[in-house]
Amino acid sequence: MIHGLIKTVFLLIALSILTGCKSAPVPPEVREAEQQQHDLWKAGAEIYAPEEYKIYKRGLRDGQIHLASENNRFIWFRTYKDVKTEFTNILAQGKLLGEKVDEHKRTKSGNVANQIAFFRNRIETLRKLASLINEGSRSSRSLTKAELQLAEISLLSERGSYTEAEEKLKGISKYTEQAANAILPILNRYTDNDQITKWRKWVNETVEASKRSQSYSIVVSKVDKRLFLYKGGRSYKTYEIGVGTNGSHDKLYAGDKATPEGKYHVIKKVAGSRFHKALLINYPNEDDRRQFAIAKSKGLIPHRAGIGGLIEIHGGGKHGMTYGCVAMENQHIEELFNIVDVGTPVTIVGVIEYENRITSAMKNL
Amino acid sequence: MRLCKIKMREEMKMNKKRVIYLALGVMILALLLGCSKKPEQELSDSKAVLEAVAAEGGEKYAAEELNVIQSEMTAALDEMAVQDGKFFKNYDKTKEMLAQVKAKSEALQAEIPARKEKAKTDAQASLDAATMAVADAKALLGKAPKGKGSMADIAAFHADLQGLESALTETQGLMTSEDYFVAMDKANGIKDKASEISTQVTEALAKVKAAKKR
Repeated sequence: MIHGLIKTVFLLIALSILTGCKSAPVPPEVREAEQQQHDLWKAGAEIYAPEEYKIYKRGLRDGQIHLASENNRFIWFRTYKDVKTEFTNILAQGKLLGEKVDEHKRTKSGNVANQIAFFRNRIETLRKLASLINEGSRSSRSLTKAELQLAEISLLSERGSYTEAEEKLKGISKYTEQAANAILPILNRYTDNDQITKWRKWVNETVEASKRSQSYSIVVSKVDKRLFLYKGGRSYKTYEIGVGTNGSHDKLYAGDKATPEGKYHVIKKVAGSRFHKALLINYPNEDDRRQFAIAKSKGLIPHRAGIGGLIEIHGGGKHGMTYGCVAMENQHIEELFNIVDVGTPVTIVGVIEYENRITSAMKNL
Repeated sequence: MRLCKIKMREEMKMNKKRVIYLALGVMILALLLGCSKKPEQELSDSKAVLEAVAAEGGEKYAAEELNVIQSEMTAALDEMAVQDGKFFKNYDKTKEMLAQVKAKSEALQAEIPARKEKAKTDAQASLDAATMAVADAKALLGKAPKGKGSMADIAAFHADLQGLESALTETQGLMTSEDYFVAMDKANGIKDKASEISTQVTEALAKVKAAKKR
């Protein structure tokens, strides 16, 4: 009996050596699932669908444990049928997860692209507004930093790192706000209806004066950077101009580099000006003196500052940044110089229209 | 008597066989249990190397390879868990898998310093180029006419350059904290912006020259 048992065992061993070394092949789904897991990781499943990815990985691990225990069974008893089914399910789950990750990425990509466009537009608008009032120096530092950050964000977005891009986007508004805070208080003068109404009244009075006297009047719009010459109450010529470095402000005192706003007239024609030719105006007028006194009493201007003077319309080029004068191209001042006489009214305002370049640019903010 | 002798001989034979079977049984048991020692040391070694790879910046400089090795480590742990649950344990495969993880981790660990060095060199080259571009733009801006009559944009360009200079300092900080990839992106951005400013300054200067001629 024992002999028989020994014989049977030996026969089985011999048979297993002859035939049993070949086990059933591991289903291809196993390798595919491993690759899929790596692909999902690369696609950012851990970032874009962390919970689902955790569940998927747990499922994959269970499958791998199942596979390992099947591999450890005696060669004859190994069957990968259940393993195959399990891994087929894992692959299906992974496919759904992949689709979800893609969907998340598409949404994030859209959000990032929208925010990039938003900030690009905001930066562009702020630059334009700053340039309109000659205040680029106040905002450029912050805007440059915002542009640099935006360039980095665009790169991250191109690489598909949307979460990182979103994180960086949070920091960009700090710079755009700094820039906006530097120029918006100045810009508000140009959107204030009461202020514009006052300027318009001055312009209307100046044009009326031209009509009444059937002669010339000059209106300068600082934001439009235009000098309008009226004859007999009608628009006669328009010239491009440049204003003071701080041209967006109303002039208060000597050396503030601001171009004054008010109703003036030509008091002298300077043929031998350093800036080709010049028309000297009567700044400071009564109103300017009053404003100066108020500002000084309130301590708004340096204690030793004078009110200034020698404000001219002169040549030298429209691109010039002046200390408060109005600059024109030489051939234009030449023409104007020959047309107007001493006494010609000169009204300088911030803007003329309620809907102006600043208000329309500010709509984009 | 003869019958008794035969019985004794048969009994002896039986005893011999019992001894043989016992010896065989012991041998088989020894064979089956011989490999049952859990590869604790191998596991701890592999884990240590893998952790060293991560500590050296594997996630930054060899993220993909590290992920593959981590998956292989998980598979080795799974295999070990299966053996833990068996009566006749055999950790040969676990050991083999752990040895592979260790070997791959060591190979990757050896590669990281070179990759890090390359990232550093690339980032430094970008930072140098950016610094030069900012210096060029600054020099160009220095040629712009000063004071009354300057272009309105010149003042803004100065502020732009201040922004770039401050960004250069930040990039230098990133180099110090070994954030080479971020530093490189930042430096490239600075260089582009500085070149853009140089172009704009050149155009502005050309405008001024043209105006002077007139």
